[in-house]
Parts: sequence; structure tokens; C-alpha cells
Amino acid sequence: MATPDASDEKPRDNPILWVARPMATAARQFTKSLFRPSTIVYPYERLEDPQFRDRLEVASGKPFGVGRVWDNYRGVHALNIATCISCNLCAFSCPDICIDMVTVPGGDPKHPKKCPQIDYGKCSYCGFCSDACPEGCLTMTTRYELSTPKRSEMVYSPEKLFAVFRSKLPMNPIRLARPANEDAILLDPPLCIGCNACARDCPTGCITMLDVAKPEAKPGEKLPRRIWKEPVVNDSDCVRCGTCISVCPKECLFWGTRK
Amino acid sequence: MSEMWINMGPQHPMTHGLWNLRVLIDGEMIVDVDPEMGYLHRGIEKISEDRHYNEVITLMDRCCYVAGFAWEHLYIIASEEALHLEPPERAQYLRVLCDEFQRIASHLMWYAAFVQDLGLMSPFLYGMRDRDLVLDLFQSYTGARMTYEYMRVGGVRSDLPPGFTDHARKVLDWLTDRFVEYDQLCLGSDIFRKRCDDLGTLKATDCVTHGVTGPMLRSAGQKRDLRKDRPYAVYDQLEFDVALADSADVTGRYLVRMEEMRQSVRLLRQVLDWLDRHPGPVLADRLPRWLGAPYAPVGKEGYLLKRNYPKGVGFSAVEEPHGEAQAYVVNEGGEHPYRVKFRSPVFANISAARQYLVGYHVADIPPIMGSVDVCVGEVDR
Amino acid sequence: MSTITLYSVSYDLASVLLGALGSILPGGARAAITSADVVTGLSVLIFGVILLAASMLNTILLIWWERKLLGRFMDRRGAMHVGYAGLLQNFADGFKLFRKDTVRPREADPLGFLTGPTAYMVTSMVIFGILPISTGWNSGALPLSLLLALAIFSFAPLFIFVSAWSSNNKYSLMGGMRSAAQMIAYEVPLLLAVVAVVIVSGSFSLTTIVTEQQNYWYWGPLVLALIVFVAAMLAEMERIPFDLPEAEAELVEGWNTEYGGMLFAFFMLADYLRALVGSILVVLLFLGGWTMPSWVPSAATSFPLAGIVWFMIKTYLVFGVFVWIRASLPRVRTDQLLRVGWNRMIPLSLLAVFLAAALVIVKCLPVFGCLPSVGG
Repeated sequence: MATPDASDEKPRDNPILWVARPMATAARQFTKSLFRPSTIVYPYERLEDPQFRDRLEVASGKPFGVGRVWDNYRGVHALNIATCISCNLCAFSCPDICIDMVTVPGGDPKHPKKCPQIDYGKCSYCGFCSDACPEGCLTMTTRYELSTPKRSEMVYSPEKLFAVFRSKLPMNPIRLARPANEDAILLDPPLCIGCNACARDCPTGCITMLDVAKPEAKPGEKLPRRIWKEPVVNDSDCVRCGTCISVCPKECLFWGTRK
Repeated sequence: MSEMWINMGPQHPMTHGLWNLRVLIDGEMIVDVDPEMGYLHRGIEKISEDRHYNEVITLMDRCCYVAGFAWEHLYIIASEEALHLEPPERAQYLRVLCDEFQRIASHLMWYAAFVQDLGLMSPFLYGMRDRDLVLDLFQSYTGARMTYEYMRVGGVRSDLPPGFTDHARKVLDWLTDRFVEYDQLCLGSDIFRKRCDDLGTLKATDCVTHGVTGPMLRSAGQKRDLRKDRPYAVYDQLEFDVALADSADVTGRYLVRMEEMRQSVRLLRQVLDWLDRHPGPVLADRLPRWLGAPYAPVGKEGYLLKRNYPKGVGFSAVEEPHGEAQAYVVNEGGEHPYRVKFRSPVFANISAARQYLVGYHVADIPPIMGSVDVCVGEVDR
Repeated sequence: MSTITLYSVSYDLASVLLGALGSILPGGARAAITSADVVTGLSVLIFGVILLAASMLNTILLIWWERKLLGRFMDRRGAMHVGYAGLLQNFADGFKLFRKDTVRPREADPLGFLTGPTAYMVTSMVIFGILPISTGWNSGALPLSLLLALAIFSFAPLFIFVSAWSSNNKYSLMGGMRSAAQMIAYEVPLLLAVVAVVIVSGSFSLTTIVTEQQNYWYWGPLVLALIVFVAAMLAEMERIPFDLPEAEAELVEGWNTEYGGMLFAFFMLADYLRALVGSILVVLLFLGGWTMPSWVPSAATSFPLAGIVWFMIKTYLVFGVFVWIRASLPRVRTDQLLRVGWNRMIPLSLLAVFLAAALVIVKCLPVFGCLPSVGG
């Protein structure tokens, strides 16, 4: 038997009277927990209740919970349908592919408004979706009680998520700052055909199609068949959702550093 | 009674997870053992190839469910090397904070399970109770208790909430007092010493031969700790001692883990002081598009966009609570890692079971395997 | 009027019942039904039912007591939702087990598999019937009740081994072997420790042993015998630190691995019944049974059933010590257990016997009457 260090050989390590020491320790714990055991009578006492947490800390002398410990909790999502811009970023960033964008009433018939619907049977509560949400409309709350007899009830429609939002639960306050010099949407001008697809589908409307001068056709050459407009992206409004890139038929938009 | 094989697992109170220890016994004596792994294989390495660099982090937490942060850190170091990124210094300190708290939490979990194997009932709950305080801390800044998803390639997700460091110091004080109690309950008990001394001996040479690392190796007197020998993050700027014992038995492993927890408390105090004094960014400024925060995949189908991003490979070795974990990440320029490969310390540790189990009693299997600290999640991945 | 005893109560009850029944019957039937033989038979039946109810109630209360105590030792609360402070939780568990099917493994031997737990349960109950709880509870007024109780107590390894072997499971078999080895090894020191008590009291009758302790309880003069007795009793009851037959870490559930439903409940109840019997024996042999020291105010000892109340309080406190040991100690290993049993316990118990004999020979026993905690 050897201890890590010769000086570390403490007398408390050695047995006295066969089993007297552990029994004394257990008895000390017994007297302590006679008045207030450490367990929390869960359905009646809840740690997310800050007043209860403070009382518990005083009663048990244990360092329970720090300030906003429960506010940061990643539980069921809350969705504010009103501010959702249907940018798809949450669905893109979901590693478990549990977010579907489904149509909600309120959009115009040509471009229906789509909001996330979350399947909690698959969700791993990683929080990537709420981190990705540019408008802060999809956040995570402290709700964690999800048990239900039916698997279908684990799928939360946007309306159900909106109901969570309206229940005024504490929301996860962590908002990620955008990187200072973020990549922007750049254009490869020779490839563009001015089709307006990007501007049409941009959820924030930060893309405007501006006229470009139609060049003179050189003799013997034909001008490409296209509309003589080009997208211009307003970087401060852009949420970097990449919708424009994915709808571009010619793959002329790409990520890059704005010079 | 003639010899017979018994299956301790895959559903057996000894296993602490899904694996099978086949034991050939003669009466109460162990004649031969045959560990069988693979019941918990989830294909994490293969799934990683189909995910963005940051999305792999969600898998890392599930790799080892008691030491999620250690595996996040392991993967993050390798992928940062593969992606040629440098995290801010504050993020490095935050990662060490996570790592060391995780080491305490993992060792407390080990303590609880180990004493339960010995039939010691109340310390099981003491260990779990005190581990919950550490999990409360994790929850306060990551938002989850086990699956943190906190580290990001190029930094960490968010900074600490206000008042965290003071509260963490309170928790450390509380834990330091509890360590004394743990020793009284275990080392102070004659029965414990009789059960554990000279049990499951594995000498340092055998450890090296079988690739056994971590507390098992250090309990055999071999001074080997990756935090000292191959410093990652900011461990070279922090002061701590390598916990050592030279008995190479179960008691030695107990002593090493207890001492490691004390050393972790020492490290954490330094880290908390540093964090108080040095505010700063926690995420690298310049990230590739698919790693930015909030990041988004490039297209609806998530097709690759291999524009001008340099290729690379990354290797990392981390002293996780169970031993030396290693990771290898290959970046072929896409938004997914091309190949991810891990080396699990527990896999090697339990593969050597024949070396430290044969010749002991059947009743010794739970304490010996408990002292190995098996986490099947990382064995099978 | 003579003292009220359990048997007199049941005899009176039987007479009243049969008298009431006879009064509504015609003459011939009345004479037949109120004859002395019938009354005696019914009173014995009532007597048995009262004993059965008392033993079961106490066992279930003992389980509750252990759950609550162990909970506090572990910094938690124990059962608390069913009934006041969880008092009815064990009844709920019992009903649940009662409703469950009895699953018998196909390869198990039906005879041994079914009779093992039943016989284990029955023998444990019989011991409870022998033990005197107070002066009135004179079911143990046999001259050799101590010997009889311990003889029945040592039946258990047989039934455990039968049920373990017949369930055709490797873990069960190992648990059964361990159980048999352990119980046989600790039977000897247990009996030797009892011999010390018998030497001092001069009687094998439990009632006499208790009345002999009017002046001083035996734990003072026979402290060594008490320690040996408690340690051996822990092994006989298969409780931590000697619960290797059920070592759940390596043997799943030991010899009752294959049992479920009511048969498992039999094992469980019989285990706790034996724990109850063990605690009662400690109280009877060493802690003065239902007697109380003279410094206790007489108001506290003279109310009706005071003997039973004090006896039960002592029993539950003794069991509390067993729970305390369980909460703080790990399990020992088979070879260590047997080595301690044969090499340490038997010499110690022999020493205790010699000490007791020496005390009797030099006639210094009354000295212990001066100890304040023992009374006089």
C-alpha cells in the first residue's frame, strides 16, 4: 500500500477499531440528513424555482445553483411566429434533422410563410437551431416535462411551439455574437442571368436587383441570353442563411470575404 | 465443482454498461476471462463523416456519457489542427475548466459505482449527490447536465454567466470537505482495505504491454500524464502534480483517483482566478463559413463547397478521466471531416482483463472491474 | 385474577364466540359446540392467527423502518408517499408482488423450486411463535425454548440451498453454496455465545433468561458474547457486511435470482422475519427483554402492554444498529468471511464462554447491578 506522496500519508486514511471510522462518518451524515436530506421532492419542489433554490441552499448549507442556472437550460423550444422570417437556418443547422419547415397561415399565397416544426422524438437539445436563429425567435426554455402516451404528440407544430412561447417560461438568454468579419454572399458576375430567384426567395429582402449596363455585342459574338440585372446584397441586413445560394440556378453566388 | 463459464453481462449488475465478461470459474476462483465488447456500437466514427465539424460535437458527448467534455475537447483539438484554426486563449482556459470539472464529476461517478460494487451503499449516494453539484455548474453555463455541446471548433459556445466563478469556488470548497469523508468511509474501513489491498495487481510493464493507461498506469508507479508529458490547451501554464501510487492494486487506483480530484481542485482554482482577471472573446474571429456562429450549411442539399479551403490532418491526445484518448481527423477541404478515428483508453484497459482478473475470486470481479472505471460508450463508440 | 396472557385472551375470545354461536343453535349442537375440546381448538387457532398477524405486521413495519433509516443514512428520505410517511408503501409492494405471476424456469425442478421458499417462510414464522415478547406473551414458556428457536433458525441453509439448486441457475447455485457455507460456519459461534448466556442465567427458557435479567442486563457482563452474537447473527441474517449469498454485484441476486412474484415475496418476508427474530433474540438474551431499569419512572413501565411496547422499542433500536452497519460497511469476501468465522469467531466465543463461567464461579455478577444504564 503506497500513497502518492510520503507527506500525503494522512492519519484519516487509516482504519481504527476495525470499522469504527466509517460507522462514525455514516452516523454524522445521518444526523445531518435527519433535518434536511439532500433529495428534492421533485413534483412538489422544483429546482427551477429560484426562491426554493435559495431556501435549499440556506437549509442544507450546500452550494446549490448559481444565479441563472436554470435560465440557461436547454429544454423545449419556444417559437415566436410573428418574428420568424422563414430563413430555414434552424432546419439547416439541426444535426438530427428533426426540424421541418411547415406552412403556417399568414404568408402570401405565392410564398407561404414557413415555420419550424420540431420532432422531440429525435431532438437532442443541442441548441444549434436557437444559436443559428438570426431573429432570436426560436429559443429554448426551461420546460423539460415531455412525457406523453403517443409518439405523434412528440411532434410540436409551430402553433404548439408558439404556445410555449406565450407561456412566458424563462428563455435561454445566450445569444451568440456574430463574428466580426463574417463571410458575405459574393457574386460571380459572368455567370449571373439576372433571374431574380435570389431576391424573390431572400427571407429578409436584403437582395435588390439592380440594372447593369448591357455591353455592346462584339461583331461575330452573341450576347448571352439573360436579364440585365444583378443582385446586390445588403450585408448588414443579410442573415447568412444561404437561401439565395441554394436557389441560384447557375451557382453564381458563393461565400467569400467582401473586399 | 468442475469448471464452468458464466456470462457476466451484457445485462449484469457488474458491467455498468452493455458489455459481456465471460468468466471461467472453478468454484469461487477465476480460471480464465474473456471480455466481449460491441453491444453499444453506434458507429459514431462513421456518422461523423456525414456531419459538419461542429455537429460532430453532439456525438462526442454521447461517446463517453460520464466524461463528455473530455471527448469534446479531444475532438476539438484534432479538428482545429486539421482546419488550421487557433482558439482564443480564454477559450482554452474555459476548456480546461470544463475538462477538470468533468474529471471530478467522472471520478465521483466512478467512486459511486465502485463502492456500490463493494456493497457499500451510502457512499454511492454521496458520490452521486456531490456530482450533481458539478452538473449544476455545467448546466449554468452550457444549459445541459450531460450532453453539453459547449465547445466549438475555434473556441467555445458562450462565456460564463455572471457570478459563476464565485459559485464554483464554493462548490470546490464543498467538494474538498467531502473528499475527506470519502476517505473515511473507504480507507478508514478495515473491510475495505482487506477487500482491496493486493487485488487486481497489474504491474507497470504489463500496463505498457497492453496499452493500459490513465489511473491504472499511474497506480503502478509510472509517471505518465498527458497533461504534463504532451501538454495541450494551457496545461503547461498551470501548476499541478501527477497523482501516483506504487501498489498497482485496487487501493492504488482508488488513491490515484482521489488524489487526481484534489489536483483538479487545485487546477480549477488557478483557472478560475485567471478567468476572473482576463475577459476576452471565446470564439475565434475568422472561421470558415460552415463553422461560423451562427453557421449554416451552404445549400439545401448541403453540397460541398470546396473553395480555397486548405486541407489538413489533425491529431490529438487528451488525458481523459479514464486514460489516454486519442483522435485523428482528416480534412479533405469539405465541410465534413473526411475521416474521424478515436482511440478509447477503456477499450485497452478492459481488453487486458485476463492479466488482472485471473487467479482472484469471483467476488473480486466487481471491485476490480470497478477500479478500471469502465465506460462502455467510449469503448464501442 | 391471574395475569392476562395471549392464550387467555384467545381462550376468552373463543369462549365468547362459541357461546354466542351456541345460543342460537338447538340444544344438542350447542352442547357439542361449546364443549371444552372445541373451545380449546378454536382458541389455539385464534392464538395462531394473532401470532401470524403480529409477525407479518412487525416484519412489514421492520422493512419500513429499514427503508426510512437507510434513507437518512444515505442523505435521502426513503418511502414517503403511500400512507403517512410511507407506512403503507410495503403493503402496496406486497400487493403488487401478490398479483404477479409465479414464473418458474422450464429447467427448474418444480418440487424444490416451490417448496424451498415456502418452507423457508414457514420455519421463520415458527421461530417467531416461540419467542416471548412480554410476560403475557407466553407462547415461549417452553423449558427449552431457546434451543428450539435456534434449532429452527438453523434450518434455513437447507431450504435456501434446495431452492437455489433447484432453480437451475449458475448464480443461484453459487449463492446457495455460499449461503450454506456461511450459515454453517457461523452457527457454531452463535451457539457458543448463547452458551455463555445460558451459563449465567442457568436456564434454556427464554422467559427465565429475561426474568433473570431483572437486576442487571447481560450485555454488561457478557459484552464479548454480545459482540460475537451480533456478528454471527448478521451472518445468519445475510445482511451487509455478510450478505455474500445475495451479493448483487457479482451474483445478480444470489440464490433468489430466479424467483419472482409471491415466491420472491416469501423470501423477502422470511429474510426480514429472520432479521426481526435476530433482533428479538439480542434483546431477549442481552438487553433484558421486556424488563426496564428501576430508574425509569414507573408511569412509563406500568401502563397496559408496557412490556410489549418497551420490548418492541428495544427490538427496533437493535435493528437500527444493524441498518447502521449496513449503511456504512462494504461486503466481505467468501474466504475472508469463512476465515473470520472459523479462526476468529469461534475462539472469541469460547473465550466468552470461559469468561461467563468464571463470572459465575467467582460470584461477581451482582457487581454489574451497579451500572446505571443496566438498572437494579
